[in-house]
Amino acid sequence: MGLGITLPLTKLSADNELDKTNPENPAHAAKDPTLNYRATIRPLLSKHCFQCHGDGDEVHGEVNLRKLETEQQIKAAFELWSDVLEAIDSETMPPEKQPRLTSAEIAQFKSWYQKALVDTIQPLPDVIRPRRLSAHEYRQTLRSLFGFELEVSIAEAEQTIVEKSLVMKLLPVDPPGPSGFKNDTSTNPLTTNVWDQYSFLIDDALDQWLAPGSREHLEAITGPIAGEHMTPKQANQILRWMLRRAYRRPPAADTVAASLATIAGSRGAELESALRIELKSVLMSPPFIYRSLLAKVDDPQSSNLVSNPSQVGKPVLYGRVDDHELAERLSYFLWGDMPDDHLMQLATQGKLRDPDIYASEIARMLADPKSQNLAYNFGVEWFSLNEISKVSNNPPVSHALRQQPIDFLNYLFMEDRPLLELIDSNVAFVNPHTAKYYPGDRKRMTAYRKQRGIEVEAVPNQRLELTNTPERGGLLTMPGVLAMNKGPVIRGTWMLERVMGEHLPDPPANVGQVKPNQRGENLSFRERFELHRSNTTCAICHNKIDPLGFAMQSYDAGGNYKPAGPTSSDSNKKRKQKNSNQAQNQNATAALKPLDTSGKLPSGESFDNYRGLQQILIKSQRRTVIENIVKRTLSYALARELNVNDMPTVDAICSELDRHGNLNLQEGTYHDLIHLVANSLPFTHAQPQHIKHD
Amino acid sequence: MSWQLDRRRFLRGAAGALLPLPFLNLMERKASGAAADGPPIRFMTLFKPNGVHPPSWSINGGTEFDFRMSPLMQPFAKHKQDLLILDNMGDFGFSSHANSTRRFLSGHHRNTKSASVDQLIASRIGKGTPHRSLELTTEGLFPNQIGCSYISYDSNGDPIPRESDPQLIFDRIFRNPMRNQAKRREMKSVLDRVSEDAKSLSRTAGAEDKQTLDQYLSVVRSTEKRIDNIAASSNDIPKATMERPLAPANLNEQVESMLDLISLALWTDSTRCVTYMLGNSNSRMIFDFLGVKEQHHYLSHFFRNFSRQNLDALLKISLWHMEKFDYLLTRMKSYRDHQGSLLDHSVVLYGSGMGHSDNHTATRIPIILAGQGGGLLKTGRYVRYAENQQLGRLHLALLKMFDADQDSFAYSTSPLPGLNGSDFTPYSEQPFESWVKQGDGTITVQGRLRLSDNLDEARIFLIDVQGQPSVRIDVAFRDFHDFNLAYHCGTAVKITGTVTEKNGQSVITKVQKLDSLFGKKPGSANG
Repeated sequence: MGLGITLPLTKLSADNELDKTNPENPAHAAKDPTLNYRATIRPLLSKHCFQCHGDGDEVHGEVNLRKLETEQQIKAAFELWSDVLEAIDSETMPPEKQPRLTSAEIAQFKSWYQKALVDTIQPLPDVIRPRRLSAHEYRQTLRSLFGFELEVSIAEAEQTIVEKSLVMKLLPVDPPGPSGFKNDTSTNPLTTNVWDQYSFLIDDALDQWLAPGSREHLEAITGPIAGEHMTPKQANQILRWMLRRAYRRPPAADTVAASLATIAGSRGAELESALRIELKSVLMSPPFIYRSLLAKVDDPQSSNLVSNPSQVGKPVLYGRVDDHELAERLSYFLWGDMPDDHLMQLATQGKLRDPDIYASEIARMLADPKSQNLAYNFGVEWFSLNEISKVSNNPPVSHALRQQPIDFLNYLFMEDRPLLELIDSNVAFVNPHTAKYYPGDRKRMTAYRKQRGIEVEAVPNQRLELTNTPERGGLLTMPGVLAMNKGPVIRGTWMLERVMGEHLPDPPANVGQVKPNQRGENLSFRERFELHRSNTTCAICHNKIDPLGFAMQSYDAGGNYKPAGPTSSDSNKKRKQKNSNQAQNQNATAALKPLDTSGKLPSGESFDNYRGLQQILIKSQRRTVIENIVKRTLSYALARELNVNDMPTVDAICSELDRHGNLNLQEGTYHDLIHLVANSLPFTHAQPQHIKHD
Repeated sequence: MSWQLDRRRFLRGAAGALLPLPFLNLMERKASGAAADGPPIRFMTLFKPNGVHPPSWSINGGTEFDFRMSPLMQPFAKHKQDLLILDNMGDFGFSSHANSTRRFLSGHHRNTKSASVDQLIASRIGKGTPHRSLELTTEGLFPNQIGCSYISYDSNGDPIPRESDPQLIFDRIFRNPMRNQAKRREMKSVLDRVSEDAKSLSRTAGAEDKQTLDQYLSVVRSTEKRIDNIAASSNDIPKATMERPLAPANLNEQVESMLDLISLALWTDSTRCVTYMLGNSNSRMIFDFLGVKEQHHYLSHFFRNFSRQNLDALLKISLWHMEKFDYLLTRMKSYRDHQGSLLDHSVVLYGSGMGHSDNHTATRIPIILAGQGGGLLKTGRYVRYAENQQLGRLHLALLKMFDADQDSFAYSTSPLPGLNGSDFTPYSEQPFESWVKQGDGTITVQGRLRLSDNLDEARIFLIDVQGQPSVRIDVAFRDFHDFNLAYHCGTAVKITGTVTEKNGQSVITKVQKLDSLFGKKPGSANG
């Protein structure tokens, strides 16, 4: 690890106690006149906003600011205030033709927002919520449990796409949850159809596991099974073994007793049939298909939360999650899979509470190949890498393009690289299908020879140090990533959302497309585009999107590097294709002008081309990029959308990873990040569930 | 077509010999209820993605019983007596794809905490069948705007996962392991055990766990019910001899295969409620088998992406959607069900959540009801309401038809009138006269402008004149564009132009002047 890590994040300490001298303390804050809502902020809103958002018969956009009067209402509307700030700051509001806020007024609002709202937010873990295993987690868990993969019996041939996993073929495709990740199944309920598929899959697994002809799976648990049928003692052993693993925690004594009772008294074939039904019941029962269902919060204490926005004024109880819940969270985060025996044993012994043992367990798990989950699932969903599969119709080629960023992310995660190598790295993973994108370095690749009779095949990547291909390096310049996002606007939007962590609203529905050159005009696409978006509504987002997107214009739609713009043969081709369309012809001529890849970010930094932008991303904008990395990782680890009370945790992790703030010193690494997330308050703690109301 | 039917044959005799399809007509279906109860009424929904191109879709003019089907409805002329075509449905301005998808069966995009209308109907009619309802689609998920992928929502307003593989659906309905008695017994034991387990957990659970366990238990209970229904379902249909559909080679085969399965599932009373999406809203599907290379969504923005070729491609896709609807109705008519056809005892809802596919308005949303629903609907009519109607009113009317005890749905509190022939306020148009004045090489004609019925010549327009042959407009692109003929489609105009005679019909070859009788001039802005 690159940093010595101190972990202030999990402490449930007296820091939260009311401290009379703390200027951030709300009691103190109330005396600061700039923080007085009634005296300073409400008049300002009354002047600029109430006309549409509070007065009159119609309240625009369902935003009624006049209604927010008590401290509780004001704090509970934290997210609304964030939107208000963004609208004022970006000059979206007040609408055109209405007087703008003066810069002094904006500053006043910002100061109130920061001091009266943001600074008073305290970290708070979420309530424990059960969550159904995602299809992928279900597949991994079954495989770990039974020791074999359920597969469909379809012959695999090169250049075809076949889903080999029976689980993935039968279960409905998981939609990404509110967090954007598929492991967030909060809006993906159990249905009768899923129930049928579970039943079919468990039958299939048990058929193989209990097959009379091959007893090796069972004998690993029971020792040799003599004769045709197992003994009652052996059946009990199998059931106990399964209960502990399927529930991912030691089952309660009465659960075990009830389970053993179902097979008690029977023998021979009858025993095995009863055992089979009971095993199936265990694997169809809620504690198997839902995570966190049996989790507990240890020793919950009051946090004295005076100003948690959603529960203003109410103290909130929370505490550490029990050891088995922690083990389960950790293994689904890193592996997308159930805890293994080693991890479960540490949990049973209560040893995960020892910070050294916990840290070394994380290190052990990260060294395990199962941590590939981070690249193959977390990384793929974060950067929408499955889109690359659509780039080429030739499976070995799309495989090569898609595997490149996956191998790269896997390298960052597994080999503990610094965070910002995501953007700037001299390591690439290349195979013969992608070698052409690395002309300066491909000579150093180990030669690849096809076997006789092989025409096309998917080929593993080689690691290649880039010394002479300055146009590549880092995720953003990989050909597959460039090719899956065609055109500057889509590329810019993707970068803004996936790399800078900004969420953009949908464009208005009635925007036309970019006008073609009129007669006599000879404008480049970029010039015409800039005319198109001179409209202020468009400019709010496009000022952010376009500089990022146009910086990538020296890479064509296929991801090839074309610094000088399209060659004349390209435009000839284009001309032939679109012969009938005059506007397109003019397009082709315009594209011959030198490319303009320069830009200026809304924050003020300018650059000439992607190389310049890249330096900005890893230097002056590094905090934005790091914050996004932290948010995505924490959100995936928690399998839920982050909320306001997670933001102090995000801030603390960011500061820890980038604590030097000094541009010459390296930021933290991916292992540092994972350790910090795994030790963070929302990961290790929870609020107990609410009392049920029957 | 006959070779296609042959290839997709469904039934095989016991010895493996082919059972010709018409044989189905000879088999009298005995539904699970006694004959005295009458046939069960089914509810089937077919969703058309990405709105419509109004000039080719809309019916303009005409009356409730006397109307001319629009160019896109031509494949449908033969079903006219089985259709109830609704117009002026939807009362919204701009609407995103995701919102309009939710609106289609949920009435309003903010109605996000309620079940969609199909599910509410399923809970009325689906209880006794092996499958309470089926939620089907053509495409995978569209994660970019996930709401575009779902029309059916459960009682919490959460999307219901959809299934798109005809083979898996076939297996679920006709090769379900629960058709085997031993498997049913085993499942019963498992269900007893797990519900016992879940109930005991529930006793000590907190609110969040309890919510999950309740959901779990409701799945367990409906599985129990389903097993009983499967056990009780009559075995007079030769299900064991039905042939599993082959893996489809293209989208057309996939959809036809699914429509076959849907009809069969409804006919065999395996389910009474099905929703099927012909595509996601915002669908990026490429209809290569129609010779179309562009994505559907791109083409559906026919104004901002206008070209002759793009419009032709869009019309090909739209016509294909209608042909699939035709395919479904034809198939449903071919099944004999009690003293009528399957269609006679079904309510089929076809439509979209969006009207104009380029500017995304949610007014004049395409909605067609088909089938009499055993007397619930009065078909053979074109019902154009005076005012724009909330979709929620239609849903409420459907809910009432199926005896759901509900006084409001999606902010609508009164059911849509007129579906069963009851009174409604029809749209009334300002009257106008139509006439032709022909001079020396020029013509002035006043009347309603419409698109040619033949979509292969969608560049041709016609003006209908009372008591005389229609005047044909066959002009260069320049005129089409400058006078914005498509914009005026369906409305009354007065056009002066150069004329020639062809096959006894007047043909305008150059437009000189166009006046709209009542309307405004088209705007110059996009969209």
